Amino acid sequence: MAAARHRQLWGVFAGPLVWFAHFLASYVTVAVWCARFTSDGGLGAARWALAALTLAAVAGELLIAWRGFKAHRHGFAIDPVHDEATSEERRRFLAFATWLLAGLSLTATVYVALPLWLLTRCG
Amino acid sequence: MNDASTGSDEERAAQESRLVAAWRPPRGWRYFSEVNNNSVGLWYILTALCFFLFGGLLAAVMRAQLAVPENELVSASRYAQLFTLHGSVMMFLFAVPIFEALAIQILPQMTGARDLPFPRLSAFGYWCYAIGGVFVCGSIFFDVAPQGGWFMYPPLSTRWQPDLGADVWLLGLSFIEIATLAAAIELIVGVLKCRAPGMRIHLMPLYAWYMLVVAGMIVFAFPPLIVGDVMLELERAFDWPFFDARRGGDPLLWQHLFWIFGHPEVYVIFLPAIALVAMIVPTFAHAPMIGYTWIVLAAVGTGFLSFGLWVHHMFTTGLPRLSLAFFSGASLAVAIPSAVQIFCFIATVLVGRFVASVPMLFVAGALAVFVLGGLTGVMVAMVPFNFQAHDSYFIVAHLHYVLFGGMVLPVLAGIYYYLPLVAGRRLGERAGRRAFWLIFGGFNLAFLPMHLSGLLGMPRRVYTYRADIGLDELNLISTVGAAVLALGFAVFLVDLWLSLRRGGVSPRDPWRAGTLEWLPRLPLHPWGLRSVPQVDTRYPLWDRPALREEVDAGRWYLPDAEEGRRETLLTGAIDAEPLHCLRVGGPSFLPLAAAVFTGGAFILATFHAWTMSAVCAALALIVVVAWLWTGTARPPEKPAKHVGRGLVLPLYAAGTGAPGWWGMCITMLADASAFAALVFGYFYYWTIDEGFLDRAVQGTGAGCAGAAAAAMLGAWASVLCAARVNRHGHAGRGRLLLGMAALGSAIAAGCALAVPASAGLAPAAHVYDAMVWLVAGWIALHVAVGLLMVLYCLARSAARLLTPVYDADLRNTALYWHFALGQGLAALAMLALFPANA
Amino acid sequence: MAAPKRVSQSLRNAGVAGCASIALCLGGCRDTPASSFVAASAEAGAALSLFYTMAAVGTLLWLAVIGLAIYATWIRPGPHAAQGVRLLLFGGGVALPTVVLTALLVYGLSMPMPLEARRPDLRIEITGERWWWRVRYLDDAGHGVELANELRLPLDRHAGLALRSAEVIHSLWIPALGGKRDLLPGRVNHIGVTPTRPGLYRGTCAEYCGDGHANMGLVVEVMPAAEFDAWLAGQREDAAGPMTAAAARGAAVFLRHGCPLCHTVRGTAARGRTGPDLTHLGARHTLAAGLLPVDAPSIARWLTHPDRLKPGTLMPRFELPPPELEDLAHYLAALR
Repeated sequence: MAAARHRQLWGVFAGPLVWFAHFLASYVTVAVWCARFTSDGGLGAARWALAALTLAAVAGELLIAWRGFKAHRHGFAIDPVHDEATSEERRRFLAFATWLLAGLSLTATVYVALPLWLLTRCG
Repeated sequence: MNDASTGSDEERAAQESRLVAAWRPPRGWRYFSEVNNNSVGLWYILTALCFFLFGGLLAAVMRAQLAVPENELVSASRYAQLFTLHGSVMMFLFAVPIFEALAIQILPQMTGARDLPFPRLSAFGYWCYAIGGVFVCGSIFFDVAPQGGWFMYPPLSTRWQPDLGADVWLLGLSFIEIATLAAAIELIVGVLKCRAPGMRIHLMPLYAWYMLVVAGMIVFAFPPLIVGDVMLELERAFDWPFFDARRGGDPLLWQHLFWIFGHPEVYVIFLPAIALVAMIVPTFAHAPMIGYTWIVLAAVGTGFLSFGLWVHHMFTTGLPRLSLAFFSGASLAVAIPSAVQIFCFIATVLVGRFVASVPMLFVAGALAVFVLGGLTGVMVAMVPFNFQAHDSYFIVAHLHYVLFGGMVLPVLAGIYYYLPLVAGRRLGERAGRRAFWLIFGGFNLAFLPMHLSGLLGMPRRVYTYRADIGLDELNLISTVGAAVLALGFAVFLVDLWLSLRRGGVSPRDPWRAGTLEWLPRLPLHPWGLRSVPQVDTRYPLWDRPALREEVDAGRWYLPDAEEGRRETLLTGAIDAEPLHCLRVGGPSFLPLAAAVFTGGAFILATFHAWTMSAVCAALALIVVVAWLWTGTARPPEKPAKHVGRGLVLPLYAAGTGAPGWWGMCITMLADASAFAALVFGYFYYWTIDEGFLDRAVQGTGAGCAGAAAAAMLGAWASVLCAARVNRHGHAGRGRLLLGMAALGSAIAAGCALAVPASAGLAPAAHVYDAMVWLVAGWIALHVAVGLLMVLYCLARSAARLLTPVYDADLRNTALYWHFALGQGLAALAMLALFPANA
Repeated sequence: MAAPKRVSQSLRNAGVAGCASIALCLGGCRDTPASSFVAASAEAGAALSLFYTMAAVGTLLWLAVIGLAIYATWIRPGPHAAQGVRLLLFGGGVALPTVVLTALLVYGLSMPMPLEARRPDLRIEITGERWWWRVRYLDDAGHGVELANELRLPLDRHAGLALRSAEVIHSLWIPALGGKRDLLPGRVNHIGVTPTRPGLYRGTCAEYCGDGHANMGLVVEVMPAAEFDAWLAGQREDAAGPMTAAAARGAAVFLRHGCPLCHTVRGTAARGRTGPDLTHLGARHTLAAGLLPVDAPSIARWLTHPDRLKPGTLMPRFELPPPELEDLAHYLAALR
């Protein structure tokens, strides 16, 4: 019971955590690749690795968003209030927050990944 | 039901007098032993405002110097002291502390708690802050103020400024950063565990959500700076070459560590101020906040995204363009949650029946200023424009718009709004409007032209500028604006002073607000609410008009203090079901003494008085042990008590139920963040590889690392077994195992230090050596702390204060050892295996 | 100090020019040589267009948000239906910023980057010193001709600049060429510029670097390629011998008072490396990193109290008898 509740609270942070993992991996990969491995300033294999990582991150965020959306069971409401003093409302509130945060994280992931598509070199 | 509501008037009066007795602040000079959040919060607020005034005066001198070109009012080095202290004071001594101050003061009222879970820790934090702040500020009067900028970039701050200034900054402020971490831990546990019964996580006031996010950010953002501070001070004091390029170091690593802290710091300042706005707007719109979940999304989202922005302070350092682009993208993304918050506030006003007021005037001004600062923030996030704007007056304008609109004006709104609660008095309406227009007008007059001076070529941190580059008029306008701004603050301060002395006494709930903090009688008693009600809506005062009377009559929880102890309810983190009755610490001089000795240790180290500093550190440790010994986890006189309405709650919590356990968990998260910064540094030096690899392949003491790992494993296993057998009633065997754990940890600490020693590494020779010594020292320090905790438990067990039933200390120690083992093994593996075999 | 007079004068100007300079910033004051409203290269021009675009869109957004807030508070239309307001929340708080920011990000990523290094036609090394700029023009063999606080660039050729620092961090900011880049101890930052507009521009240090930070200027002159080549050839020459008797006496003073310990005058015994190379000092635009004009009186002022003109400077003060001072200043000003 308590464990499930705590899991749902952590679930709220899942979307941003995926964003952060993707962001950090992108930054570290490019930093290490450009400092240690590139010979001509090109991205080479690192670019494909990061593209795959981005796809995984986007898929993860979509999954989190979908789970939140389903658990919320309210369709596309912009701002459902959820202020009843029941466990069901708390559950729906957390699900809605999960889905919103996954959406924001998805946008941020796309923003961070856009340069990979438009730029092909370190410098 | 034997609930308190059935009591007679006399009985109620007797209950109230017992509450008064338990919570009464000490009188006379002993007043400063008080630890209750209402007293400490008030000291904190007043001190922070004093530092704000001081920082503002420094800025006024700078503006006077820049009024005309080629002015000679202050010298170049004095000017450097002024801008270094102005930035440091405003960031470390005003912006962050005022948020902690307000949170300590009003968060417990909002969540219906009697106090924060660790009041003595708040007091300790306050005294650290006051001592450290006075030390740092005082330095300018002895001409030893730091002058490396608030960012303290090496190598300017290491080799080229050998005077005391940088040490004052590093040690004086590190000490405050530790206090800030303490406050963050307290606020997280306060929000999660000390809410009124029934105040589920989706019913919390938005302020509590913001505090949760901000305190969480502090836990992750401040430790990297503390690690950086340690490295910089080691370089200054002992010549360990972390940032010296000639010996494999790199000045850029400091910039990474500083801004990994520094950018989240901006949001650590901004979010609590917006939290105030989120409380003020619904009150004056007379409507619940539209988009409660959206605001939670915005707060949490901003909290995360703010950790992906740090390099946008380093766009001109020459990092790969692609790296810059990642941070540019993240910097744009963070604008979305800010927009969400602003539109939630506007939407709430549109839906409600808006009433104009002085706090709302400040909120409106904040909106105008902050939105402009946010838009220029998006502009400087674009790399090509950043190349021009960076380190120019455009940035000075941008950051002041963000901080003034996102922090100073909302805090002023908060002061106008919350003064009745804090001091029982209201500020003047007319004076408030005058102060607002002077502050708002003066601010814009001072800072709007700076956008242009920057683009016209005025760099930051220049003590003067030439007359022939078209900056004269713009600078003079800025100085005039600064004078108007100062006048506005003078009006505000006079109004504050007069209102506190003889202003109108505030009626109860003067703004007809909906949230719990406005429920108690004014002026506020230290215990807050007469009894702690069950909460089942976001705006209980609007939704349940009868609540006030029920609470006043003591018909809810904890209406009494039968044992004369200070008590508050401990509830579940998610659904706020009552779990325990927590006894919090009462007045004590121990936190003050601990702060004085900790301060002494840091301040004496500034002057390289190492012996005296070590003595102070030892005294601080003794005082802290005495404080823990006398104040925490004491077996109660009875296992449980009635807290009203027939509810019986246990008086002792151990393991996951105990606030101390939560505090330990959060402390370890902060510690893990610091460790991550260390690991980042280690690998960073590997990527730049100025001789790092060559020195590393010569090998580190792998044998010693293995021995240290084995000893740590042994100590860890012994602590775990000790906790288990103690719980099964075998206290004697538990003590034996604890003795073994102590022995194991002593061996582990020695072996950890033998890793670099046996390999003959000399920390001043090369950054690789220095880094290995630092990591080994880090492991040894953690094992030593574990040793102290084991010895403490051993003593507690011998004194029968740690029993098979009441074993919170031992369970916390076991928790710590899980963490210390994981971190220690990772660190040892890194030293022994990487990059020697790579 | 004539500060009071200057204050009153500036105050008078402020009234008129103050408001005017904000309103007319795009007109009146944009052509000062330190301004970033002047673009002397294509990339700097693109960055300036980016700024104008963002400033225009930003102003519109600001007006829209503030207008909405004023509507909600001052005009007080009475309670609105929550459902419509929620649409506004989504449209204004989520949809609008996402669209605008995405467009901006793509715009920023696809535009040419100022200061990006390509294969250079000309190699220059700039070292940040406390507190001046050591500028070396390198030939193909890596040998260089050294000058100080002055960067001359040929029109339409790509100059590659290698930025270094020996001591503290500096940042070279030349607004007309599109921005700044840091000079970091232990690292070399490579930047490149292709100037497309001849003229005189100013640069400065943008990263706080100690007491001399405010007085660490640089003059940039973009000149036609042929003119540049002639100039560089002239710079490669050693200093001509003293032409006048005063200059000859000055040269002797220069050698006698220890100046060669820090300064080089090629073609003489002076080979110091600590301070700026003075071989062709008289042909430069400024003295002491953008602080003074190069003429004998200014040089004499500088020699007498360098620390007052430029606090923190490592240049020591020389208290010479007036005739010797005049000769020395004359000699230095004549090093063309």
